[in-house]
Amino acid sequence: MSITRNIRSAAQSLKYSKWRSLMTMTGVILGVLSVITIVSIGEGVKRQVVGQINLLGSDLISVRPGNLVTRDKNGNIVKVNQISSFAFGSGSMSDSDLETIKSSSGVKTVVPIGLVNSGVKLDDVQYNQSLVIATNDKFPAMLKQTINHGVFFDDTDSNKHVVVIGKRVAENLFAENVPIGRTLTIRGVEFVVIGVFEEFNYSPLAYGTDLNQAIAMPYAAGQELTGHNQLAQVLVRPESVDQTTAVIAAINKKMTLAHGGQNDFTVLKQDENLSVVSNILKVFTAFISGVAAMSLLIGGIGIMNIMLVSVTERTREIGIRKAIGATNRQISEQFFVEATILSSTGGAIGIGLAFVINAVLRIVTHLNPVISLEVVLISAGVSIALGIVFGVIPAVRAARKDPIEALRYE
Amino acid sequence: MPIIELKEISKIFGFGDATTLALDEIDLVIEKGEFVAIMGPSGSGKSTLMNLIGLLDRPTYGSYKLGGKDVSRLRTNQLAKIRRDRVGYVFQSFNLLPRLNVLENVALPLVYKGVGANKRIKTASALLERVGLSDREYYLPKHLSGGQTQRAAIARALVNSPDIIIADEPTGNLDSESSRVVMELLSDIHKLGNTILLVTHNPELTRYVNRVVYMHDGVIVHDENTPIGEVPKLARKALNLFQRKTEEDDLAGVSALMKAIPTKHTTKKPRAKAKKPTSRSKSMKRIKK
Repeated sequence: MSITRNIRSAAQSLKYSKWRSLMTMTGVILGVLSVITIVSIGEGVKRQVVGQINLLGSDLISVRPGNLVTRDKNGNIVKVNQISSFAFGSGSMSDSDLETIKSSSGVKTVVPIGLVNSGVKLDDVQYNQSLVIATNDKFPAMLKQTINHGVFFDDTDSNKHVVVIGKRVAENLFAENVPIGRTLTIRGVEFVVIGVFEEFNYSPLAYGTDLNQAIAMPYAAGQELTGHNQLAQVLVRPESVDQTTAVIAAINKKMTLAHGGQNDFTVLKQDENLSVVSNILKVFTAFISGVAAMSLLIGGIGIMNIMLVSVTERTREIGIRKAIGATNRQISEQFFVEATILSSTGGAIGIGLAFVINAVLRIVTHLNPVISLEVVLISAGVSIALGIVFGVIPAVRAARKDPIEALRYE
Repeated sequence: MPIIELKEISKIFGFGDATTLALDEIDLVIEKGEFVAIMGPSGSGKSTLMNLIGLLDRPTYGSYKLGGKDVSRLRTNQLAKIRRDRVGYVFQSFNLLPRLNVLENVALPLVYKGVGANKRIKTASALLERVGLSDREYYLPKHLSGGQTQRAAIARALVNSPDIIIADEPTGNLDSESSRVVMELLSDIHKLGNTILLVTHNPELTRYVNRVVYMHDGVIVHDENTPIGEVPKLARKALNLFQRKTEEDDLAGVSALMKAIPTKHTTKKPRAKAKKPTSRSKSMKRIKK
């Protein structure tokens, strides 16, 4: 019996019990769907990070509060400390650290990002989605960000009460595109809007903070408001790209000294940001993949279960087929192909749904999930393999039926 | 030329104390082109004999030659291939596959033989025409009447041009008109030179056959040739004893017929048995131990 004939005949008998077949496939469908979706989100985030690294340059160094990573003697990251990774504002760095970093050898430019608060007032309207930061005039150059309208504050503005705002703030708070010249109130002090940022690319590195919601004020103005700025991050560029590693070492040394030997800060290269992100993703992906693997396993067992039921139900059919000359092998092939078709159809539906979910995610979130050919092929392979593995027992059972007893079966 | 040669065929079911002897040293030779009715009450071993002849089962002892070739010791898959190529089955309960249409059902044996799709359809279609079901090719079996279904089943049995056709109570589930149509179809097929074995309870049907074999308790108790169109003596006796109404009456008729037969081992030669102990009797001793 040819394979195409087998496939046609299997498709026919699956179509005969459409609902049952669909229910049976659910496990495989969900398994494949979740694996592809999770992997594609991870892949998308990774690509965004890589894109950002390319944009910002590999010589960008960031110094963050909190001990995010553990390094070996050669300075390679051996472990990412999960717990503090999201601690955007853990306050172990302040104004004095800025001077320490500035004075490290090989440092060319330093841009502090001080956290002021997250709430502003426009007239009597309170707006809490914003992220008020205090920084210096080199901020746009450091992040290669352009100003869409107006200007960014420069050296001479360092004491003035001016702000440059993100696009979302303009839209949501002022309800206009160019609210230049208007004022808003931060901690009771009035600030004048002098510029609006071009839209920031969604940055997975920002760990949930959206710079399009940023309100940036001069560093000194921030100090005036808060007494001293809490540093969320300090961005550093070395004098030349080759020096990056040396500068990191220098900053590390000086900072450790300044912190009394306490390593409660983290100096990261751009590409190390990638390893931090991918490490977080790895844990996430492993977890979901585990769940998906369980779902696939249960899906496989479900297929086996239904196939066994089907073999029993169709005992008489098996008897008839044997009586008219089907060999054991031909009978087992029939059920084997049926199980495989069941699982691979489930896989195909899962893959199809994953593309739908992918499109939905692209529309409703900032994620740009990327479905790679690799993951599609692997999930197709896995679902076919499921049918093969879990189809064996039912197929063998079918083949072993005694034709005389099978013919008598009611 | 004998198409079927059974020699001292025995079939034992079960083990130990539960052993039953379903067939007891059956000798039977059927020539090519014969239309043989096998009669006997339930439990007489007819079905077991048919399963052996149809190669669904193997004898415990004895030899079976089909078309001159010994098939009594073949393995399961070889048996399946011989069934496929040389045996056609017609069942009491029709046994068409409910999910396939009539044409696909008829063509199914060819699928297992590896015949191409076009040829399968042509052959099956030609046979359906022969049984008068050309206009029902794409019907599902459940949309056919009983008589039509059985005619389709006969077409399926013929599709591989088998050496023997085994019809196990083919009219058992049919009304008298459909029964007549089916029997006349089998009769036509016989006239074309096919060998047919018919298992039946119904003495009326013996008028279509040219030989009647009576079985009882696993042995052949009587074997007679009979002109086509006539119900043989013994069968008529059963017919006259009872006015046939239901299948149970048939059974009663056959039982009465069996009682009417004087001695059991009419076709046996006891002397031959005494002369050389057969493999079966040896093994029976073994079982008794």
